[in-house]
Amino acid sequence: MAETVEKIKLLKSSPDLSTATYQIHDESHTIGNSLRWMLMKNPKVEFCGYSVPHPSENVINVRIQMYDNVSSLDALISALDELDKVCETVEDGYLASLREGKFERWVERT
Amino acid sequence: MSQQQGAPANANAGGGGPGYQTQPRMEMEYLCADCGAKNEIRARDPIRCRECGHRIFYKKRTKRMVQFEAR
Amino acid sequence: MPSETVDSRRLVGVLAERVTNVSSNDFPGHYPGEDHSWDLTNFQKNLTVKVQRLSQHSIDFDIVGVDASIANAFRRIMIAEVPTVAIEQVFVWNNNTVIVDEILAHRLGLVPLNVDPSLMIMKGPDDPPTDQNTLVFHVDITCERNPKAPKGTLNPHELYINSEFLSSHLTWTPAGEQEEVFADNKPAPTNSNIVLAKLRPGQQINMELHAVKGVGKDHAKFSPVATASYRLLPQIKIIKPIPPSKAEKFQKCFSPGVIKIDPRTQEVSVDEKNVRNDTVSREVLRHPEFAGSVELSRVRDYFLFNVESEGPYAPERILPEAIKVMREKLAVIRQAAEALRDKSTTIDSDVVMTDS
Repeated sequence: MAETVEKIKLLKSSPDLSTATYQIHDESHTIGNSLRWMLMKNPKVEFCGYSVPHPSENVINVRIQMYDNVSSLDALISALDELDKVCETVEDGYLASLREGKFERWVERT
Repeated sequence: MSQQQGAPANANAGGGGPGYQTQPRMEMEYLCADCGAKNEIRARDPIRCRECGHRIFYKKRTKRMVQFEAR
Repeated sequence: MPSETVDSRRLVGVLAERVTNVSSNDFPGHYPGEDHSWDLTNFQKNLTVKVQRLSQHSIDFDIVGVDASIANAFRRIMIAEVPTVAIEQVFVWNNNTVIVDEILAHRLGLVPLNVDPSLMIMKGPDDPPTDQNTLVFHVDITCERNPKAPKGTLNPHELYINSEFLSSHLTWTPAGEQEEVFADNKPAPTNSNIVLAKLRPGQQINMELHAVKGVGKDHAKFSPVATASYRLLPQIKIIKPIPPSKAEKFQKCFSPGVIKIDPRTQEVSVDEKNVRNDTVSREVLRHPEFAGSVELSRVRDYFLFNVESEGPYAPERILPEAIKVMREKLAVIRQAAEALRDKSTTIDSDVVMTDS
């Protein structure tokens, strides 16, 4: 609540949000590129791209354009959900492999 | 600033702590660059080591705490 | 299960002077008549995560079936956003060693500490230090001549006492509840043998150190890893049989163990288990006699991670911590996006009302 900067700022957009640029504060290529990839997996997305406008500003701009005047904000939110599922799946797989214990163990000399 | 007071030399020496009081001393202890001996040198004294005659001295490190960022 | 003929769409070609098919193209609309839209069950089916090697300092694992953007996000977070605790402030009372204060302070900052970061909170720039956000260490050592030094020795360790300032000289001073919180793992450097400065008789160091929690994007000293990197799985396809007389030369074009030679027939084949060790040096492409007999490539979605831990985390803990950080970031953005949606819908309805 007491946040001075908002996490997401809406830059250029159409009134129905079918095209919009979102400025996400305090994020980088880490989120930018994976979010772009997940949005591009959505068939309703006509275009998605992101940029880091300047290295001195700690923000990314994510541009989304939708087909059929669908809301890009809904697409953004579902992409975030799906990325979370990706993380969960990778983590589950990793922990399962670790638990299974079928890997080489070796001693590294310091 | 208050060093003109005629307080006896070394009145505050060995106080240890950071300079809470300005030390009313005219002379300073310097270290000889050659032999390392302590030398008290007052204003207009000749710059010369009492032990070895060397003419180069180091000023002692401040007794105050100095703060640094570990970056 | 590497290359029982990997789908050619998954391959990045490695030619003598160029790479081909670099970008992923598994997007809806790229291939006519094919559906590449996001499908979680399909993703779960195709994903393989397998730990390959684990030591007390490093881990090798494979992530197969994710896009480079995801693999890269994990790598970036492991390096820059998994928090650790490191020395941030140095208060020097005395230091008359030959290492100047600034350099010594910098060196101290880089010492990895064994502190579990989850036991501390981040200290904001204006927050006062508390027992929850700051750990205090002290250093007080003086170098002296060793009266019992063996005659004629030139070894500084025998000649002098405390001739080295080591990371083991950092002594932790608990404050507040820290004694209980850090009871089972007393804060100290992970490595007690780091030489931070050398001393000679008469020199001494007396300092207070404040350690705080931070992340690698602020300063590399907060990074929990020494390296965190990935490569793509190499693939070697032999198209034309290699003449037996050239078999050994062919084998030497690759990393050791990558190419097998049948001892009886001198037939050359690729060792599927060891292809991962190839450096893809393209040496084989320099020899005219092998022209057109081999194709080199890498599998675009087959990531071979290597992570070396330095600091408080066991190597196998670093990826889960990175994923945790990633999910927290996603949750924060999601919350903000939903707030934006709520705001825009109320504005929309306002607009509608004024219009009608």
